[in-house]
Amino acid sequence: MKNPLNKRIFRAIKGEAGKYLVIFLFMTALVGVVSGFLIAGESLKTAYDLSFEKYNVEDGNFELAEKADSNIISSIEEESVTLYENFYVEEDTDGFESTLRIFSNRKDVNQECLLSGTMPEAENEIVLDRLYAKNNDMSVGDSFSVAGKSLKVTGIVALPDYSALFQNNTDFMFDNIKFGVSVMTDDGFAEIGDNIHYSYSWKYDTPPADPNGKEAKDMAEDFMKSISTKAPLINFIPRFSSNAIKFAGEDLGGDRVMVLTLMYILIVIIAFVFAITTSNTISREANVIGTLRASGYTKLELIRHYMTPPLIVLLIAAIVGNILGYTLFKNVMVAQYLGSYSLVSYKTLWNATAFIETTVVPIVIMTLINFFMLVRAFSLSPLKFIRRDLKRRQKKKAFKLNTKIKIMTRFKLRVIFQNIPNYITIFVGILFSGIILVFGTMFGPLLDNVEEETLANMIASHQYILKMPTETENADAEKYCISSLKTTGNDFTEDISIYGIVDNSKYITADLSGGKVYISSAYSDKYGLKKGDTFTMKEEFDDKTHRLNIDGIYDNPATLAIFVSRNKFNEMFGNEADYYSGYLSDQEIADIDENLISAEITENDYTKSSRQLKQSMGNMMVIFWILGVAVFMLVIYLLAKIIIEKNAQSISMTKILGYNKKEIDRIYIHTTTIVTILSLIVSLPLIDVALNWIWHQMMSEFTGWIPCVIQWDIYLKVVVIGIVTYALVVLLLRRQTDRVSLSDALKNVE
Amino acid sequence: MFIKISGIKKHFGEGESRVEVLKGIDAEIEKGEICVLLGPSGSGKSTLLNIIGGIDNADSGYIQIGGEKTEDMNEKALTLYRREHLGYIFQMYNLIPNLNIKENVEIGAYLSSNPLDVDELLKVLGLYEHRHKLPNQLSGGQQQRTAIGRAIVKNPDILLCDEPTGALDYNTSKEILKLIEELNKKYGSTVIMVTHNDAIKNMADRVIKLRDGVIRKNYKNETKITASELDW
Repeated sequence: MKNPLNKRIFRAIKGEAGKYLVIFLFMTALVGVVSGFLIAGESLKTAYDLSFEKYNVEDGNFELAEKADSNIISSIEEESVTLYENFYVEEDTDGFESTLRIFSNRKDVNQECLLSGTMPEAENEIVLDRLYAKNNDMSVGDSFSVAGKSLKVTGIVALPDYSALFQNNTDFMFDNIKFGVSVMTDDGFAEIGDNIHYSYSWKYDTPPADPNGKEAKDMAEDFMKSISTKAPLINFIPRFSSNAIKFAGEDLGGDRVMVLTLMYILIVIIAFVFAITTSNTISREANVIGTLRASGYTKLELIRHYMTPPLIVLLIAAIVGNILGYTLFKNVMVAQYLGSYSLVSYKTLWNATAFIETTVVPIVIMTLINFFMLVRAFSLSPLKFIRRDLKRRQKKKAFKLNTKIKIMTRFKLRVIFQNIPNYITIFVGILFSGIILVFGTMFGPLLDNVEEETLANMIASHQYILKMPTETENADAEKYCISSLKTTGNDFTEDISIYGIVDNSKYITADLSGGKVYISSAYSDKYGLKKGDTFTMKEEFDDKTHRLNIDGIYDNPATLAIFVSRNKFNEMFGNEADYYSGYLSDQEIADIDENLISAEITENDYTKSSRQLKQSMGNMMVIFWILGVAVFMLVIYLLAKIIIEKNAQSISMTKILGYNKKEIDRIYIHTTTIVTILSLIVSLPLIDVALNWIWHQMMSEFTGWIPCVIQWDIYLKVVVIGIVTYALVVLLLRRQTDRVSLSDALKNVE
Repeated sequence: MFIKISGIKKHFGEGESRVEVLKGIDAEIEKGEICVLLGPSGSGKSTLLNIIGGIDNADSGYIQIGGEKTEDMNEKALTLYRREHLGYIFQMYNLIPNLNIKENVEIGAYLSSNPLDVDELLKVLGLYEHRHKLPNQLSGGQQQRTAIGRAIVKNPDILLCDEPTGALDYNTSKEILKLIEELNKKYGSTVIMVTHNDAIKNMADRVIKLRDGVIRKNYKNETKITASELDW
């Protein structure tokens, strides 16, 4: 005979349809989003990984100051590598602000993935990167002008060595709005411009077993040293350190841990909500449970029975969530990724790990938490259940409250003390939803702030890097030196700009005399360095290291930089005493030949990171925002509902006694209101600490630094959102108190 | 002897509030008997019933049923013992609100390897036409009859009834008592019934009167009458 208790499982779900529906919708959305995220990530990552072989992606590239002749090429190729010309020109587009990097047709390495249209055949034809084309409203058949030449777009491509559109490898963030890559025919390329970048791609004859491992790093190091003795090397980017190649690949799986952790935290909260609601059901059905236990039902039979409804709801939610994950949410997430990266075409792949992580693990978490809670609940004797005596410890006396406190206040305090576990869970729920909400709300303003801070702290409006020393008549111009050094001591390394500044500089106000070293406040924040600390940096193309002692912190919260005097700089890098890299100037310098300028860093360069982050993460933040509000509502509604259910008889009795609706709400709903508002306020400093920590952890894996500035109005906004959301919950709770009938108080209770 | 109660002592509370509820109870009950535990509130009768039923422990003494001592049983064995041998009826019916009448009885049948026929029993209980109703659609007497059905359907050796008529009116109480008597005759279960209603002792085979935790009287009722003849 099947256990007849099973017959009430679906009735129990139906009987509390509202509660289960809310949880079902939340869990379905949560599992769907996470599963969609994992499936999209995994499918795209697989296509990305396969693209290395499919499109023959380089093992690295380097740029020489001039074209290498065949002798140099042969000499370099003696290092067991094959070189491929991957020359490009970089031109500004006419009519809209952007820089286009144009390659000639790639035949052997880094082959294009043609997504639509056809490859160029005529001199005036070009294929564009998909994202750049999209962001600049261009499609196949359109024409535009570059360097005065009109070009026709014949196709849309993805270049496997530019899955993330980093213009420079040292950029903090890619820029797929104002920077793009493209390919023309050899003849077209020859016509387009003179300022050719002599970039060479290389492939090892015997590639390292792990392209990111130590062997690969040692091989690249040796190779770089070898080239630098044979030709004037101005850039060297092995594949493992190429942001344009690897950034997308790392991001495609990189957020996985964070997203799964977030999901598991939410599931633990939901599991506790379930545990509390089940505990409430057990209290309500205590006498029935006692009778069943007295009749011979085992604890396990009853535990199984009470665990089943939440698990069924979760299982269905997980299945529906997975279906949505493979369909709707996968497409949303793929669109999210494709909005950031220029990825080659992909196929949706079945992901067993994602299924385990989004279905099996949540069910296990839910089962364990509920199981332990129920084992604890059912450890009481049948007699205690029959007597409805479910308190583990008997209170000797009632909690004393000063009689000078008004009776209504005492009444409310009693309700609060009676429901402390519910209120603790409400607090935890508010804390987590607060973190999610603030995170979703702070992002835009934070990036705006970064943009402002960056512009306010720009060393100079124009920063020129020259190919060779050239004088200028511009009175505003100030000579300076710049290079970059690599951080040491960690697996994660990044390039930090080091500036050599003239004495009494009008652009950097720091006492750099006598070999003093200043670091930017951003650098200090990110690496926890303070005045008096010593740190070691390594030269980019050499083993040479520099041990520096910090003499001061220069206020620049958004740029990682080291500042020394020009003399010290030249001494450190073995330059002539009068060497300089370029000019700092607040005015545009017009009297230097453009061909002699290697790079000009402008406002646009400084703000491209925040601009790109806003574009890439904007939609994600909306998801965070919705999630935060949903968790907030869910936790408060379900737990506050339990408080009302628990007190149904008392509410009924107060009604009989003649208390009006307002007074009853004041006792049973205002208590939750007080706790909710207090929780909101108390959680704010905790949210601030938590988010600063989370942000620091996130940023420590990125190159560059964005300070975590959460303005007070964000918190105000979150409190207002919290209160408005709670107001909606109150409307539902009022319906709940209204529904308590007068006859509830007349029900027999032993 | 089917049930042997030997030296049962039980107290509640500690210190000043310590109350000796049972102060050494010795009694024996024959198989198939209806035994009424009679006494005023606080006399210890329900506590004794709970100890017999294995849902409460004695401080000392033991209960022996069919040669097995309950004090030697661990929790698992006690559950099994209740599952196989006992049926429980309480003053409050403790029915499962979202199961219908038949399903509430099936809850008891599930526990037995040899249950009575549920439909047959529902007919005996006069509940057959109400079998698809939920408990809150029935009167108190009908609900108590359902609770009795749930207890008796597994064909227990012992039926423990704690104030089964405590929440019912005169006529319904008599109906329930008649039913218990009928079931005792029909299925041969030993019935131990706690009540503070003195009149009920007249339908018992054995009467045990308790006061202040001790047995004041324990006798075989030689002038037993039927439940329908009871009056109070």
